Amino acid sequence: MTLLLRTLVAPYYTRNAGFLGVVVYLAFGFMRPQDHHALMAAILTSPFLLALTASLWGLYTLRATVFTRQLLSEPPQRFLLSARLLPRSTRWAGWVLVSAALLLPVEAYAGWMLQRGFVHQTWAANAALTGVVLLLVSASAYGLDERVRNPYPERALRLPRWRWSIPYVLFYPSFLLRHRPVATLLSKAASVGLLIGVCRLYPTDDYDQRLLLIGLMMSLVAHAPLCRLFFEFEQTWLRLLPNLPISPWGRLGRYVLAYTVLWLPELPVLLYNAPVRVSPVYMGTLWFTGLGWLLFFHTFAYRPRWNPDRWQQQVLGGFLAGLLLIMFGIPALGWLAIALCLTGWQFVKTTPWLRNTHPA
Amino acid sequence: MLLTIKNFRKAYHETPILTVPSLQLPAGTYWFRGINGSGKSTFLRTIAGMLPFAGEIWLNEQYEINRHPVPYRLRVNYAEAEPLFPDFLSAYDIIQFVAKAKQATRTQVACLAEQLGVDAYWKTPTGTYSSGMQKKVALLMAFLGQPALILLDEPLTTIDDRAAQILYDLIHERQAAGVSFGLASHQDVGQSTLPIDRVFLVENGLLQSV
Repeated sequence: MTLLLRTLVAPYYTRNAGFLGVVVYLAFGFMRPQDHHALMAAILTSPFLLALTASLWGLYTLRATVFTRQLLSEPPQRFLLSARLLPRSTRWAGWVLVSAALLLPVEAYAGWMLQRGFVHQTWAANAALTGVVLLLVSASAYGLDERVRNPYPERALRLPRWRWSIPYVLFYPSFLLRHRPVATLLSKAASVGLLIGVCRLYPTDDYDQRLLLIGLMMSLVAHAPLCRLFFEFEQTWLRLLPNLPISPWGRLGRYVLAYTVLWLPELPVLLYNAPVRVSPVYMGTLWFTGLGWLLFFHTFAYRPRWNPDRWQQQVLGGFLAGLLLIMFGIPALGWLAIALCLTGWQFVKTTPWLRNTHPA
Repeated sequence: MLLTIKNFRKAYHETPILTVPSLQLPAGTYWFRGINGSGKSTFLRTIAGMLPFAGEIWLNEQYEINRHPVPYRLRVNYAEAEPLFPDFLSAYDIIQFVAKAKQATRTQVACLAEQLGVDAYWKTPTGTYSSGMQKKVALLMAFLGQPALILLDEPLTTIDDRAAQILYDLIHERQAAGVSFGLASHQDVGQSTLPIDRVFLVENGLLQSV
């Protein structure tokens, strides 16, 4: 059991620290305990809100399960695929424990809701809540068990092939669509949802543009796993890249184009949902700022002695530092300039396409 | 001098892999022998500009690998021992990208594809290829452009006798045109078939001329 917690659960929390940090920030940064109590009371008395909450928890479960299933394909965890040789009951006991640990944030909030349900005596809602949590844990455990029972599944999503040649800038977006459709969809949904949320929140009070920058930062943190994956994609699948005679700035230019493709859906979202008091030019600047920071995330992965767990923690640390700095009122253009300077510095300093990670 | 290596030291984290204090190689064909894990592939990959290292590597006494990264890489091509390509891309997609970077003409690409028989399958996703088919794609890319030096890591692994003969023919053709080769293999690379100018043994972190 300790082995499972160390090899599957610990990497999940360390690599998703940024995402979980955003969730905690959203849930407890903006809302006081009495706000939560009011929200819980509303959920416990409304079947619609209860179903909505269950759906959100379902999305979280899907994210955690997909992540862990992918983890089982990585070399350090691949030995766990031999767990299919164990008796079914032993296997299931392990997966239930792993799933329960993965869904700890859901269980904790559900526990708090159950406690409020006892106060409000909403017995039917409490029973439904308990059922939903048990169902989610079971579904996650089934997903993990199914993965070890099928150690060599058809991994790529079957999408139609187009007839023309795919250019380099579309290599990674194509990889995401075919190999990581769920992770990509959830990251984009979280990013777009956060941006729409802050844009709608903006006119409801005396907020200034710092709120939009906070929303942008949270959206970028949701993208952080995709930046890490881009780096891993090139290290694994495009190993010949460093041998190609492309200048450093030519390489950077290609990354700019690839990230433009990846970040493009956020542009219409920002422009369409622009608050009345904010100009479209500012929203465009915000989008470019996001692009600059995504590039920095990418080059940051090329640092010596890089490892995904540490990198994710650094992204979370950067997020918290960024939140503090936003309070000093640095404008969006300032953030863009900082991102571009850091990207350029990192790119020149580390010769990023050369990494000392290959085995001898 | 085709290749000049000075104070070369390659390590993975603090573990030394290979040290070459000084080496000068005129144009020619070289075979780097060594057991598995001896560091011959690392040496080839480093010369190809794919790995960081300490020291200096000069091509034609004109281009240093780090100071002149683009012209150096334009003239040094490489094929890895066990190539791996994104399984959703076709060989055509990847070859187009590499050919453009290496400044190869369409005619050259078409000609090489036909010679190696890659054109028969290059529009289908690489995920459907056998290891031999993937290897032929990697070999094709190593001959693109106008290289001065072609580095082939375990060139005969996974390819059949017919493909090996085509590879020998291609090497002969390029040798006649003045192209140099660096071959790394633990197997006999066909000394009876290929004129090898010098054999090096990669052993105990050192490069020794045999």
